[in-house]
Amino acid sequence: MVFFLFQVLVGLIMVHLARLLMKNYHGGHVAIRFALGGCANRPYFRIVAAYNKRARDGKYLEQVGCYDPLPNSHNEKIVGLNIERLKHWIGCGAHVTKPVEKLLGFSGLFPLHPMTITNAERLRKRRALEAPATSQEETPSD
Amino acid sequence: MAALGAPRCLWRCAAAPLGLPRAGRALAGSRGHGQDAGSEADKKESHATKPCFTDEAVQSLLYKMTGLDLQKIFRPLKQELKPPTYKLMTESELAEATRKAIQEAKELLKMSPVLSEREPIDDVLAEDRILEGTETAKYVFTDITYSTPHRERFIVVREPTGVLRKATWEERDRMIQVYFPREGRKLVPPPIFKDENLLTVFREDRHEDILNLCIAQFEPDSANYIRVHHRTYDDIDKHAKYHLLRSTRHFGGMVWYLVNRKKTDGLLIDMIQRNLMDDATCLVSLYHILHPDCQSAKAAKDQVLHGVDLIKVFMKTESNRIGYIELALQAYQEALASSAAL
Repeated sequence: MVFFLFQVLVGLIMVHLARLLMKNYHGGHVAIRFALGGCANRPYFRIVAAYNKRARDGKYLEQVGCYDPLPNSHNEKIVGLNIERLKHWIGCGAHVTKPVEKLLGFSGLFPLHPMTITNAERLRKRRALEAPATSQEETPSD
Repeated sequence: MAALGAPRCLWRCAAAPLGLPRAGRALAGSRGHGQDAGSEADKKESHATKPCFTDEAVQSLLYKMTGLDLQKIFRPLKQELKPPTYKLMTESELAEATRKAIQEAKELLKMSPVLSEREPIDDVLAEDRILEGTETAKYVFTDITYSTPHRERFIVVREPTGVLRKATWEERDRMIQVYFPREGRKLVPPPIFKDENLLTVFREDRHEDILNLCIAQFEPDSANYIRVHHRTYDDIDKHAKYHLLRSTRHFGGMVWYLVNRKKTDGLLIDMIQRNLMDDATCLVSLYHILHPDCQSAKAAKDQVLHGVDLIKVFMKTESNRIGYIELALQAYQEALASSAAL
């Protein structure tokens, strides 16, 4: 009888001690972001739901996808997205970082990111300026 | 710089599920599971349209013709070397073991599905021409949710031109193999399935092996699967090597193919020569189910024929090689008469 009470007390204390040992974040939030892996000159990203304050490649809550930035033999960049879990984390209030937003904009899950469109237009303007510049260079050389 | 167009946040609603075009038989990637579920729906269809591979009557006929040669089914497969186990059994235990072996053999003989070729997918979800020239490679997005069936999985491709389209069947198969690899299936189909290499396989009489490889590698409604199967069946018919596939699970498919194209003569002769009269009558009745408008079918219905008479009527009206079949029938009847006399 006494031994039983002793065990219950020890259990309660250990739970509180364990709580103190766990990492607590004050004002942190969950983020869906890229975690870099792979080798030298060979990046590979895992799309991961992790606490904001954690290291980039550190402990995460859940892996929600993967992205291979190098094109394969069919000239494809392969992206895998666990849509169900992604929607769950976004529903729980996770923030999504800009690169992941841009990638999801390409996929069609999110609308196209404004910076994607801005960069596309800037690139187009730069190329339009360069084209007459090169044609002017060619005519004097003839 | 607002986003173009309405936000397509949940394109699950917009994109129609990528199911099979006909009466939704969901084949979850494994062989033979759809048949039992689909046969009821097909029975209703068959009264209106032509009979299907999965009809119960058709399946029972094909199964009878396949035969149940236990020695061939359970012949040693190329596996790791294990010394044989010997068991001491009573008569009743032996009967029980044989019964279990027959049940296992029936499982192994489950016919692989025969489907028509799948229609190519070309569905554009979005056109964002503004992205043209920004990227050099395509992006292939696969939904890796574990619980969705592979046929309903969303796989989309964003081209360098900015067009967001659904992936083609080949891209789908490749991506699903990357994320959910299946045993025996390679990412790139091996060169053995090319036409010129198939000839080498046929020369060595390894039709069954190539058909097993084909089932492991390709989806049942893909063009490659159908092409390899048809080439194999044509070669077997050309050289009359029907015995290679008898008592395997490919026999039913082969008979269905031959009866649909009315090339049944060689098979009929082979059956009569091996004294498989029941199989021959099954073959003729299957022919009548599939082609109910032919002369012999009408004659059979009028006169209610059985056995050898059925084959004779069929032979006179439908076959091209009447002489050979007559000779074979004669030889069979002489053999019967002599064995009866003995």
